Amino acid sequence: MTTDKTRRGIDRRTLLKTTALGAAATIAMPAVLRAKTKEIVIGCAGSHTAWMEQIVIPNFEKKYDAKVLFEGTKSTVNLEKMRGNRDQPYLSVVQMDDPVMILAVEEGLLTPITPELVPNMTKLRDGAVHMDGMWANYVQPWAGIAYNTNAMDGVESWSALWDPAAKGKIIIPSLQNTEGMWTLFAAAALSTGKPLTEAQYEIDAAFDKLGELKDQVLSVYTVMTQSFNLLEQGEISMLSGQFSSYALTRKAEGAPVDLAAPKETIFAMPSGICMVKDGPNPELATAYINEMLSADLQKEIATYANSLPANTEVTGMSVIPEGTPVFGPDWAFVSKNRKDWIERFDKLMAA
Amino acid sequence: MSAATEAAQAPPEMRWRVDPFVLLAAPGLLYLAILFALPLALLLLQSFRDADGHFSIAGYIEFFSDPINLAVTWRTFRVAALSTLLCLVLAYPTAFALARARGFVQSFILVAMILPLSVGVIVKAFSWSIVLRSDGIVNSALVFLGIVDQPIRLLFTETALIVGSANVFLPFMVLPIYAVVRQIDPSLSAAAATLGAGPFFRFFRVIVPLTLPGVIAGVAFVFSLAISMYVIPSLIVGERHATLSMLIARSYLFFRDAQLGSTISAILLLIAIAVVLGSSLLLRRFEGTRV
Repeated sequence: MTTDKTRRGIDRRTLLKTTALGAAATIAMPAVLRAKTKEIVIGCAGSHTAWMEQIVIPNFEKKYDAKVLFEGTKSTVNLEKMRGNRDQPYLSVVQMDDPVMILAVEEGLLTPITPELVPNMTKLRDGAVHMDGMWANYVQPWAGIAYNTNAMDGVESWSALWDPAAKGKIIIPSLQNTEGMWTLFAAAALSTGKPLTEAQYEIDAAFDKLGELKDQVLSVYTVMTQSFNLLEQGEISMLSGQFSSYALTRKAEGAPVDLAAPKETIFAMPSGICMVKDGPNPELATAYINEMLSADLQKEIATYANSLPANTEVTGMSVIPEGTPVFGPDWAFVSKNRKDWIERFDKLMAA
Repeated sequence: MSAATEAAQAPPEMRWRVDPFVLLAAPGLLYLAILFALPLALLLLQSFRDADGHFSIAGYIEFFSDPINLAVTWRTFRVAALSTLLCLVLAYPTAFALARARGFVQSFILVAMILPLSVGVIVKAFSWSIVLRSDGIVNSALVFLGIVDQPIRLLFTETALIVGSANVFLPFMVLPIYAVVRQIDPSLSAAAATLGAGPFFRFFRVIVPLTLPGVIAGVAFVFSLAISMYVIPSLIVGERHATLSMLIARSYLFFRDAQLGSTISAILLLIAIAVVLGSSLLLRRFEGTRV
């Protein structure tokens, strides 16, 4: 006797059972696989993409037999991701700017790193570990004024931004971007004539000076790459507040740009690394941070990104222009006042 | 007699019936309800709650008491309206050409309309900077033709934003109008002509009214997209010509002020709804006068 099953190969019940099992397996499988895979997700800046892909990730994945995923975006967006997923964090480690780190600490989103878990912490220069290990600086690019080499031979002083000859040929970053702070502090120093250690607190004077700059600038950016593209095309001659990790890399790739170190000062970009509180795979996270603070990896990143390594065992690097002072501002003061400054800046530039 | 009995005895045409075909929309409606309507309702509610969770309209008062915010609101509306108008002017004849064309020409126009959708806004923004910069194609042409003595500023202007956004949203205007135009019976125009109507009269009294549903749909699509665009103004005009979407991003990401962010979102949504509903009502009123 020929059954329904043998005639058609499969009966209705078998089909239903198989479908149900298949659906369950489809839903369950990714979670099972994830549980067995060593994987961490890193939040970082979009400008980190090149050296993350070429140096950090291959190095770490090979050494720890783990998978590294990264999301490159603004520091504030990384902060929002941590806040939004506070109960179930998916980021294990975040690389972002110091002023945003302060906000993350205030909101209880970070867990401190210790020398027991991250031995390379002890090899960092003074001042590179912040708020009892809440975060540490790894490599720090320096910031000055990027310029088009077909339009100018160099930029001697921050006051070049106010030169009437440059009217309409300048773009400055918004204060929403960390690099926007450099134009503000330079304005404070030029306006008051005080050293930056004092001038950084003279914000009214800084905004008065920025008011004079308003008619000079072509635009104010929050998306840096588009403005940098215009600099390379020669549409603008100066882009304020730019950092070595991007500008000098583009120069090395043949773009007609260079990064000037104005005589008054250059600034140290506040690049920090932290561990997310209750983030997944904490062992892998501390291993990753330890690698990022190691001399070998820092030397590779610093060379690629023209940055200053924080590990004191890295020697023979000459990424900072000689004879120019490097200034690192009071980030706690910045963090406390940044919202008001952004509002004030936006109104000033939009008026 | 009980209500149930009355309902049971009611004539069949008076009973509430559901067309089974309506159920086909259920997955889509459920999807929109969960992923759009519900979060949006929560967002709007948030605009009426202060930091302590109490009812408050402080967010609206704070927003409207600042002249800069009013200027940004007006700019956002103006840019969206002008982008929509530019799209309409460009799309209307294109839709007719598309409907009347056949074979390769029709395929070519369709591809030309749809293919740019696959190119990201960021790529487009970079290409616009090549066209609009001081030594770009537009300025070179203007100088060559003697229209201007020296290159004019096109980048980082509101004009660039309108031109750029119209470029992105044009297909959303062309396709709804095309869908309507291709269904217009060509003999209607011929019939009007046999009754003595001239070309001008035939176009404005016969053809245009028939295309209005497509125009309204296109306007609704483009205006909604243009008023809420964020990436395009961020890339093309920067912070000096901020729009409401940029203020929303700033409120959430930098100020971490959820009430202010949701308040601006609510205002943006209200403007979009008002324009879309207003357009639909105008259409109905117009159709009513035609009957």
